[in-house]
Amino acid sequence: MMGFTAFLGKELQEIRRTWRIWVIPGMLLFFGITSPIVALVTPALVESLAGSQPGMVIQIPDPTGMDGYGQFLKNLSQLVTLAIIIASAGLVSTERSSGTAQLVLTKPISRAAFLLAKLVAELLLLAVSTVVATAVCLGVSRLVFPPVAAGPLFAAIGIWLASAMLLVTVMLLCSVVFSSRGGAAGAGLGFSFLALLVSIWPPAVRYSFVGLGGAAAKVLGSQPAEVAWPLSTALVAILLVGYVAIRVFERQEL
Amino acid sequence: MTATAVEIRDLSKKFGATTALDRVSFTVPAGSVFGFLGPNGAGKTTLLRILTGLARPTSGTATVLGADLSAVDPTLRRRLGFLPDVPGFYPWMTAEEFLRFAGGLFGLDGATLTDRVTSLLELAGLAGVRTRVGGFSRGMKQRLGVAQALINAPELLLLDEPTSALDPIGRREVLEMIASLRGRTTVFFSTHILADVERVCDTVAILDRGRVAVSATVAELKKRATAERLTVEVDGDAAPLAGRIAGAPWLHSLTHEGSLLRLTVSDLAAASRALPEAIAALGLGLRRFESDEVTLEEVFVAIVGGGR
Repeated sequence: MMGFTAFLGKELQEIRRTWRIWVIPGMLLFFGITSPIVALVTPALVESLAGSQPGMVIQIPDPTGMDGYGQFLKNLSQLVTLAIIIASAGLVSTERSSGTAQLVLTKPISRAAFLLAKLVAELLLLAVSTVVATAVCLGVSRLVFPPVAAGPLFAAIGIWLASAMLLVTVMLLCSVVFSSRGGAAGAGLGFSFLALLVSIWPPAVRYSFVGLGGAAAKVLGSQPAEVAWPLSTALVAILLVGYVAIRVFERQEL
Repeated sequence: MTATAVEIRDLSKKFGATTALDRVSFTVPAGSVFGFLGPNGAGKTTLLRILTGLARPTSGTATVLGADLSAVDPTLRRRLGFLPDVPGFYPWMTAEEFLRFAGGLFGLDGATLTDRVTSLLELAGLAGVRTRVGGFSRGMKQRLGVAQALINAPELLLLDEPTSALDPIGRREVLEMIASLRGRTTVFFSTHILADVERVCDTVAILDRGRVAVSATVAELKKRATAERLTVEVDGDAAPLAGRIAGAPWLHSLTHEGSLLRLTVSDLAAASRALPEAIAALGLGLRRFESDEVTLEEVFVAIVGGGR
């Protein structure tokens, strides 16, 4: 695809040399380090709080490595998801408003290649950061807790990663459709809220990507979980949303 | 290279109820330096956006380097260079990095890319500048914009107001660079600075409120206007002369001040015969009889200024 490699190279350089290297990777790494530590100190904190209330006794079992993993997954599902929405809201709209899209797209690069390069770079950043942060979480966890199996952690984070990749693709579409970063972020939050709302309907949880969040938690707890449908529908949704983003962008005037 | 670099026929562009371009037609000869002139808001940028594929016309056709505009694709863009009116750059890049990136989009690499980047940095006066583009002045950005538009040695160079942000020296350098491309590259150059057009362009189209008011060579345009304006000076009061020629069929307008008459005429030959006769009949002596050299600015104002 004409211009794809050159533009992907620019995207990767931009990630390395601007604030983009600090936001998603920085947050993931931060939670990779702190989640096991927070899990370790939580019982002591709760007991200390309870101790200040006369007559209140709270008994919490000793934390394990699995609590650290659970804390990590929870942070990813909430805070990192929010950061993804905000950070990727300007993927295309920023280039359009600054005039760089106009300068680049009058050169031999197709609009499809422009968007795909952005998507690939963003997904690469997310995937690599997630793998590194998960490994860090595992390492810190083994430092502060007796070792527990790492398989469920990687499987659960892998499922979360699929939902995060879908969210990035949705944000790419939002950034194409909306001319401002704020508008795109609002639409991304709306999508997340809608997915959360739909997730109270059991068939949607079982047969669509909205079940990914619950599946990740179950997998982490080594409970039986339906993952084939959520994962395959997430993949289909990524392809579909990416295709729609390209078609919309190709029809836009810049 | 085809004989015509750009051919536009009845091209219109509407934004809702606003008509930005109204049945615009003109051609740009290959190898020429073409000035696309018009006041701010005339529709120059809209037309350039259409020619580069950033926008689509509402109706009409355009052919760029022999290719129909409706089929503008990355292959055609290999042959174009474009500088937007306000070029956007990645602020974290240096000038050299941006030129390398731009060259990469054209598939250039290795020694070819290095040679072009080096010479274009020299041309833009940015050789050795290690500052990131985010710290550049508007003039530096404009010069980098011209350089990046030349990275692929284009057959057609489309420049939207290339000199508007430059200081006099930078402006002269860019104009000299544009002039040096004559015959090798077709330059389509939009501007509202008349002196720039006068300095480097062969052919010009004047756009006014979305319509092409005139399209001709610069020489033709000036000749047309020159033939219509006269200054006459006599060795006495010019008032009797003014009274004598008032109402002549070849006379458009007349002002006099002391011994000086300023006239616009529809038939220079008839005026050249009648005026000396009238001066002699009044017993006056002729001190000066000349057709004035008009500037393109006067032509421009005459064409677009009337309705304002």
